[in-house]
Amino acid sequence: MNHVLQYIPGNSVIHRMNPVTKLLLTIIICVCAFMTDNLFFLLGLLAVDLMIGFVAGVAGRTLKIFRGLLMIAAFLFILQALLTRRGTPVFWIITDEGLMGAGRVVLRLIVVCMPLALVLAVTRISDLTNALVQHLHVPYQYAFTLATAIRFIPQFLEEMNGIMEAQTARGVAFDQARGLKKFSMILPLCAPLLISSVRRTDQTAVAAEVRGFRLRTRASAYRRYTFTALDAATFLFCALLLAGAILIR
Amino acid sequence: MIEIQDLSFTYQDEKKPALEGISLSLREGDFLGIIGPAGAGKTTLGRAISGIVPHHYKGDFYGSVTVGGMDTVDSSLIDISRLVGMVFQDVDSQIICPTVEDELLYGLENFGIGRDEIPERIGFALGKVGIPELRERSIGSLSGGQRQKVAIASVIALKPRVLVLDEPTGELDPQSSRQVFTLLRELNEEFGITIVVIEQKIMLLCEFARRLLVLNEGKAVHEGETRQVLSHAEDLENIGVNIPRVATLSRALSRKTGKEIPVCINLDEAEKTARGLMA
Repeated sequence: MNHVLQYIPGNSVIHRMNPVTKLLLTIIICVCAFMTDNLFFLLGLLAVDLMIGFVAGVAGRTLKIFRGLLMIAAFLFILQALLTRRGTPVFWIITDEGLMGAGRVVLRLIVVCMPLALVLAVTRISDLTNALVQHLHVPYQYAFTLATAIRFIPQFLEEMNGIMEAQTARGVAFDQARGLKKFSMILPLCAPLLISSVRRTDQTAVAAEVRGFRLRTRASAYRRYTFTALDAATFLFCALLLAGAILIR
Repeated sequence: MIEIQDLSFTYQDEKKPALEGISLSLREGDFLGIIGPAGAGKTTLGRAISGIVPHHYKGDFYGSVTVGGMDTVDSSLIDISRLVGMVFQDVDSQIICPTVEDELLYGLENFGIGRDEIPERIGFALGKVGIPELRERSIGSLSGGQRQKVAIASVIALKPRVLVLDEPTGELDPQSSRQVFTLLRELNEEFGITIVVIEQKIMLLCEFARRLLVLNEGKAVHEGETRQVLSHAEDLENIGVNIPRVATLSRALSRKTGKEIPVCINLDEAEKTARGLMA
């Protein structure tokens, strides 16, 4: 069970950063990606994304996310290039502005999605929620909801696989169907998935309750999340990125 | 420690009561095994002792459950859970955090255990269940059995006075199952923790539990000292509870020889009895 959002333990510079700093860096990269229209700056941001992944020692995961995004990006690129009507034609119905626009959209998509996925690979969810509660005063209930939602994704996948296997054992040929047909075969499975998920969620709620969920306060967390020179440097880097995005539009 | 008087409980939107007229009295330091066929109300009884029934699962609740002097209906779930630790049947839904250490920290942090005491408690709990090497691991990378041990560790880290476990060996192999029961015995004997364990493996209960409660269709069929309950072998078999082969053997010998032979609950006893008869 190794999915794209699972935490990868490590002790890199990125791992040691305050979770709040990591989140800030993620948000700044996203903001910059939407502020600038400059293709080269976007490429620069992409390089930053990749660099973060490599520095954190999660190159494999980074490339996996990158490859996944490229597939969606390719589809989006074609669609965007075909639908833009402005500019001078380059060949057939595709224009130069269409290509540029499509490039921007696609790059933006990749630049924004990568750090969002990476931040979960290099931060324990509990550290993220604890730090949010501690420093940003996010109410614990909200932080818990977020953490649980992310934690449930692999569980749902596991459960879905279980249901599909059970169906396969009874002769449903999922492997022979493709596209829409496969979709229509999977759709009815949502009912059992939903029922078992709701039941499971309820159990988790009880489990949290009997272990003092309601007693938790901002001061409860055992780990403390301090800001170090590393975080200060990252803040500076964020400011530089932001300034860059404003200057190089 | 636990006083149950004439407890009946029917879940909301259900007609058939899950429990009917259960009475039970456990002293501090008792070790009770609960056994019975599926749907006998074992889990419901476990929930009633830990206050989850009627605080979380609503329904018609008659009679009374008192744990450590607290009436579970009048006390809040939080107050009960300071005293009673519960290990659920579905381990995956019990685990809240993504890593082993976080899972243990969760309860400790919430109940406000002192910062200086926390590392020792975590070390103690992981050491007791025998998984100190898994401390840093993510839950997703663990096997079912390892997860079960994490769930148990996260509860014993809180040092409850009463420990309720709902089929804690469901995902474990025979050796690990014995380990869990040996651990329960240690907790019971060293710290005087009252243990209530729902379990299907009768052999384990025979060996470790001092008292047995047999449930069927929400009613108590037999309750008492383990050996005494096992002497009602026919009743147990009628409701589909297997009894250990040594117990069957001693009964058969008793019938054959016409002598009064006490029920054997483990191999040693059976051997002694057999030798005694041959001499």
